[in-house]
Amino acid sequence: MALDDFLEELDRLTAEALLTFNAASDAEALERARVEFLGARSGRLKDAQKILASVDRADKPAAGKRFNDTKAAIEAGFQDAGQRLAASGPSTAQAAGLDITLPGSRPRLGHVHPITRTIEDLKEIMGRLGFSVAAGPEVEDEWHNFEALNIPQSHPARDPLENFFLATAARSQPGASGGDRPLLLRSQTSTVQIRVMEHTEPPVRIISLGRVYRPDTADATHYPMFHQIEGLLIDRHVTMADLKSVLRLFARSYFGGDVHIRFRPSFFPFTEPSVEVDMSWNDAWIEMGGAGMVDPNVLRAVGYDPDQVSGFAFGLGVERVCARRHQVTDIREFYKNDVRFLEQF
Amino acid sequence: MIVSWNWLKDYVVLDVEPQELARRLMMAGLNHESTTTIDDDLAIDLEVTSNRPDCLGHLGIAREAAVLYGQQLRLPPVAPRESQPAAAELTKVAIECPELCPRYIARVIRGVRIGPSPDWLVDRLRTLGISPINNAVDITNYVLMECGQPLHVFDLSKLAGRRIVVREARQGERIEAIDHKTYELAPGICVIADERNPVAVGGVMGGAASEVSTATTEILLEAAQFDPAAVRATARRLSLHSDSSYRFERGVDPDGVDWASHRAAQLIQELAGGHEQVQVAAGSVDVGRGPTAREPVVLRFDQLRRILGIEIEPAEVCRILRALGNTERSVVLPARVEYRGSSQVGQIADAGSVEVVPPSWRADLTREIDLIEEVARIHGYDAIPEDVSVPMATSARSVEDWVLAEVRHVLTAAGFDEALTVSVVEEAWSAAFSPWTESPPLVASMPVLRRADRLRRSLVPSLLGARRTNETLSNPVIELFETARVYLPRAGQLPDEPLMLALASGGDFLHVKGVVEALVAALKCPDRVEAQPAEFELLARGHGARLLLAGEVLGYLGPLSAEGMKTFELREPATVAELRLDLLIKFAVRVPRYEPLPVYPAVSRDLNLQLDANVAWSGLERVVRTAAGPLLERLEYRDTYRDPQRVPPGKKRVLFSFALRDPQGTLTGAQADELRDRVAAACAEQLGAEMPSV
Repeated sequence: MALDDFLEELDRLTAEALLTFNAASDAEALERARVEFLGARSGRLKDAQKILASVDRADKPAAGKRFNDTKAAIEAGFQDAGQRLAASGPSTAQAAGLDITLPGSRPRLGHVHPITRTIEDLKEIMGRLGFSVAAGPEVEDEWHNFEALNIPQSHPARDPLENFFLATAARSQPGASGGDRPLLLRSQTSTVQIRVMEHTEPPVRIISLGRVYRPDTADATHYPMFHQIEGLLIDRHVTMADLKSVLRLFARSYFGGDVHIRFRPSFFPFTEPSVEVDMSWNDAWIEMGGAGMVDPNVLRAVGYDPDQVSGFAFGLGVERVCARRHQVTDIREFYKNDVRFLEQF
Repeated sequence: MIVSWNWLKDYVVLDVEPQELARRLMMAGLNHESTTTIDDDLAIDLEVTSNRPDCLGHLGIAREAAVLYGQQLRLPPVAPRESQPAAAELTKVAIECPELCPRYIARVIRGVRIGPSPDWLVDRLRTLGISPINNAVDITNYVLMECGQPLHVFDLSKLAGRRIVVREARQGERIEAIDHKTYELAPGICVIADERNPVAVGGVMGGAASEVSTATTEILLEAAQFDPAAVRATARRLSLHSDSSYRFERGVDPDGVDWASHRAAQLIQELAGGHEQVQVAAGSVDVGRGPTAREPVVLRFDQLRRILGIEIEPAEVCRILRALGNTERSVVLPARVEYRGSSQVGQIADAGSVEVVPPSWRADLTREIDLIEEVARIHGYDAIPEDVSVPMATSARSVEDWVLAEVRHVLTAAGFDEALTVSVVEEAWSAAFSPWTESPPLVASMPVLRRADRLRRSLVPSLLGARRTNETLSNPVIELFETARVYLPRAGQLPDEPLMLALASGGDFLHVKGVVEALVAALKCPDRVEAQPAEFELLARGHGARLLLAGEVLGYLGPLSAEGMKTFELREPATVAELRLDLLIKFAVRVPRYEPLPVYPAVSRDLNLQLDANVAWSGLERVVRTAAGPLLERLEYRDTYRDPQRVPPGKKRVLFSFALRDPQGTLTGAQADELRDRVAAACAEQLGAEMPSV
């Protein structure tokens, strides 16, 4: 055979082999292609090798070199195709009998309680508005839970049956807390505001949150223990317009959209004026919580001069916010800790 | 407070639809609960806050409406025709307990014909949900709902001695009230008595024995004031709540007591026989302390802006205050006032002010801020803008918040669900586990839920309770954690309330310990957790551990004992742990420092040692670490073998591997082998360890 013909034959062989390898869509097809081109007995490369023997003696060195190059190229092409199939997987996987539609083996992840998530969301938003988190004890004395909050002894809120006072028998035991002072489980987180103001000069910008306790019979909307979040801002020149504006920023951040705020007059001992706060939501007003300007008696109780500083306070029931957000219809679910409930959040 | 729409219109011209009135009243402080049609009337239910007892009568609501719509309030005339003999000649009143009953006014009305009330009166009471009884009693209810002053009528002929003694009840006294139930009385309860027995529970309810009936011809009409706290206590003690007690608990208008008495006398005269028949005895027997003069209050006009953030014209401020019944004493309008000093003439700004005397029915108005609120709510809170710019301020997340967030991340990643349980538990749970204090728990004076009255000293019992709840629900995986406070009593002060993290798991000891170790590592605490034996009844004997971090007690860990499972009625084994979060907060490193990564490769070696069965891993670990020296990078426990076919009795085989790395250069295999041999030799020497032949 003439050298040119032989070289042409080798080029055609290379092109065809690479084309066939690349077209192989699974391992079986690639194996058929391998046998066709690289088969030890009757592969086409073997055929070409036989032709090499019939090339003119003078042309042999050149023809031999090209043959070796061709062989290397085809073998490399086969390797590449094999790797390609292994990487793309499916055919190999199916060949191995794996049903890729089977569910994956998921790690079991735990869940954060919805009340905690709500608290964290609220804290984060208020943090962006410059309010730092403050904490205080849950077992309180009457000064912080009542007196300093402008709730005098005669106020119905101080009725022993409206609060969880600690039993005196337990307190008089040796080593027990409180001495002779009556102690109670705090009925509001405003106690924390008093504790912070007692130790801080204005300006004060805090949120306090946590568990509070009131003797309500447990039902779908009441529980004797619940969570409150309360904000407090004390400074010179703080007005009700600041209160409304902060609450609007808060509501827009938490609920999204162009929310508006409405105040309705109300009554709380520790604020005056006192208001119920509504926000516009889907063309209706829904209740957010209570708010007001800190009562001058409260400012005086912590040693502030009400003619020098003013401030606002607001409070939300976390359970109510959380229940509304997630459409939980019975707040007792929050404390039952059924894992099927917890897993929903 | 239910308001009759028809009745309200007696006192004020209302040119608006009822729903518009309800909206305006709501925006002025009277929350609208509902409106119900009753025959040709509307019953409008308004929520009255506890500071506004003046709105517990139609006149009070009408006054608010009149202020809001710029109308005049029309008071009904009160002028009964009186005749001799005077009331003082017909009865006597004595108050023996002025602290419980500061004032008592008795009127005597004779010649009455008791019978049904006229239809208009019955209709109005029906709108309010009050059943008619007879004309005299209906009139007291009518006047109560008109002005908010409770009244009572006695059949004078049934009062022993024809007189009234207001006194504390005596031990053992009882009374059958007009609800025909008998109540046990006691000192502290104010009673209206005749010469012998109580005839009414003061401010709460009249007695059956002296009640007005069709046979009654002469009436003693009571109008009195009772101490709010005492009435509240009595109503609560007797579980007897009435329209009267509701109003006395909130305080009545001291100037309105006599007005109400006059008003009722007039209506009785008109409706229970007429002027010819019915003789209203001249005057009254008025005993006790009359109303005292109110202190004036000054409102500085500039304070409105300072508190509300808006300007309100002084003229409007004064109009609102007057319309609410305040008596204006003086007004100083804002002005620039000239002054002459010793050498110069200047000007100072005077913000101006108004001085008023609040009306008798508004005991809640005593301070400038009270007047600011009045002006604000009538002027309308809608005038306050919601888009002022509030100055910015920094706020930082506390280390505590950060650690708690990390705890939640790690534990949820480890498959634990966060639980929230009640802080107060029943006695058996409280006693079940208390690792932090030996002091008895604080006790609430009444249970918070069912039998739960002990402030918890550990979170673990509550989590086990939640675990039981889930077991009864057949939930297959119950992995719970909680972060909350416990309450540790301290003598003479508020209890200590450390934050705790508790875990309750279906996994075994090493599983829960691993979670704890992972948490400590995630918080970058500079030390590792050490375990020491600790015994608790709740935990399986010999399996309880006290966990230490940097030498301080971090917490406790262990699987439940059989008794522990029984206490909490658990079917499946469980492991619990409780950790002090304050310690984690103390040791957590929020900003870890970068350590350059090693350049040279590490070499691993395994060792399989046969040891006495009682050699603890912690002891082995100590020997290995010391022997291997600074090149030891990582030591990992692999397994323990106790196969009796291969391991002699009293022995165990412990397999562990360790990684060695030289920061200065590549460690050769020979060096690693030499270190391994040195470790094995140290273990042999100090722990009697042998290298098993197989």
